[in-house]
Amino acid sequence: MYMLQALDIYKKFGHLEVLKGVSLQVKQGEVIAIIGPSGSGKSTLLRCLNRLETIDRGTIEIDGEIMAKNGPDGRAVYSSEKDITRLRRKMGMVFQNFNLFPHKSVLENLMLAPMLVNNVTAEEAEKTARELLAKVGLSQKADNYPFELSGGQQQRVAIARALAMNPAIMCFDEPTSALDPELTGEVLRVMRDLAFEHMTMVVVTHEIGFAREVANRVIFMDDGLIVEQGTAEDVLLNPRQERTKAFLSTVLTAR
Amino acid sequence: MDYVISILPQMCLGWLVTMQIFAVTLLSLPLGVILGIARLSKFKPLAWFMELYVWVFRGTPLLLQLLFWYFGLMAVGIRIERETAVYVAFILNYAAYLAEIFRAGIQSIDRGQYEAADVLGLSRRQTMTQIILPQVFKRVLPPIGNEVINLVKDTALVYIIAISELSRVARIRAVTDDTLVPFVIAGLFYLLMTAIVQRFFKWVESRLDYYR
Repeated sequence: MYMLQALDIYKKFGHLEVLKGVSLQVKQGEVIAIIGPSGSGKSTLLRCLNRLETIDRGTIEIDGEIMAKNGPDGRAVYSSEKDITRLRRKMGMVFQNFNLFPHKSVLENLMLAPMLVNNVTAEEAEKTARELLAKVGLSQKADNYPFELSGGQQQRVAIARALAMNPAIMCFDEPTSALDPELTGEVLRVMRDLAFEHMTMVVVTHEIGFAREVANRVIFMDDGLIVEQGTAEDVLLNPRQERTKAFLSTVLTAR
Repeated sequence: MDYVISILPQMCLGWLVTMQIFAVTLLSLPLGVILGIARLSKFKPLAWFMELYVWVFRGTPLLLQLLFWYFGLMAVGIRIERETAVYVAFILNYAAYLAEIFRAGIQSIDRGQYEAADVLGLSRRQTMTQIILPQVFKRVLPPIGNEVINLVKDTALVYIIAISELSRVARIRAVTDDTLVPFVIAGLFYLLMTAIVQRFFKWVESRLDYYR
């Protein structure tokens, strides 16, 4: 059984075909890195998984339950809003730009959704929040506001905020792309810890090093399609496809 | 000086009328929030209606709207109190301006805030009340302050339907006593009121200064 299954996903923005039949299956505890040039559709794929974007065609299953599948006319039909809300709660999302709530303190950022959505008591929410802050190494920043933190610290808070909802899958949309190079390490370290705890993770990233070290499977996307996938060693060290080789040589020589 | 003291009680009565119009018109603030949200509704007829509303009430002089609500309605056989006409005219007019300010404020909030709330499972209402509007209020404070100061001065317009607020009282005294002193005093009253409004908004801004 797959934790997450997306089959034959198509997505257009206006006339631009962004996803041209992409399938992705994620097992419990798997860490998947999706790499590829900008405009390849990798972020869109991730955003389709939790319905930040709606798909035109295809099937999405989360934890064995259907979120969207093709109707008789071949266009995707989504399940009821209630079911979708329940399924989406199994997924945590970390954005490139953190998207912390600027008017809430770090602690409040972590407590808000559990209290509003899961009706957790304030004491319980605070307890969980403090544990998670300790886990991402930011206990001493609980009462600070996001603008007082560095980018790396903000992103660690964002990860903790997603974890506060106790998700079964964590999705990361280029979590280090907005960070200064010297700040990416602290964020990747937190993600690596999560992976070692067997969190199911789908990570869209430019960090080839992270993909190589942490991912069970690496997927290379280009032009709305999965070009190649396999273990990190296969895809990153011995790529078979020309497009993968070309991409890797540009990224690796760039650093 | 004796003259000033002799007209002060009358001026103060006028000032109370001015204050009353001012205070009641502040109801346009919550109304403006609601209309601003309605203006962005996905339900198109509502959004269009709001656009029309803003166009009409922002696009014609408040003076004309006052005349309409009092004399216009009277002409078609609907009699309402002078004060009611004033309140209706002021609230609807100011709500149109404020709705535009709130609309722009809401649209200025980064899409990522909605997405973050969305993936955390917050409902649309929760997203609006907990995440978006608190940030909007901070952002729109300066333009709202402008409008409220305008309101202090716009209350003078109600002389047109013979309501004795501060400036009308001043004018009557000036004409009967053949002196400009009442105008000077009225001016000082307005300056005092706008100073208080200014200080108030400055204070609120400083209260919201804890985040960026």
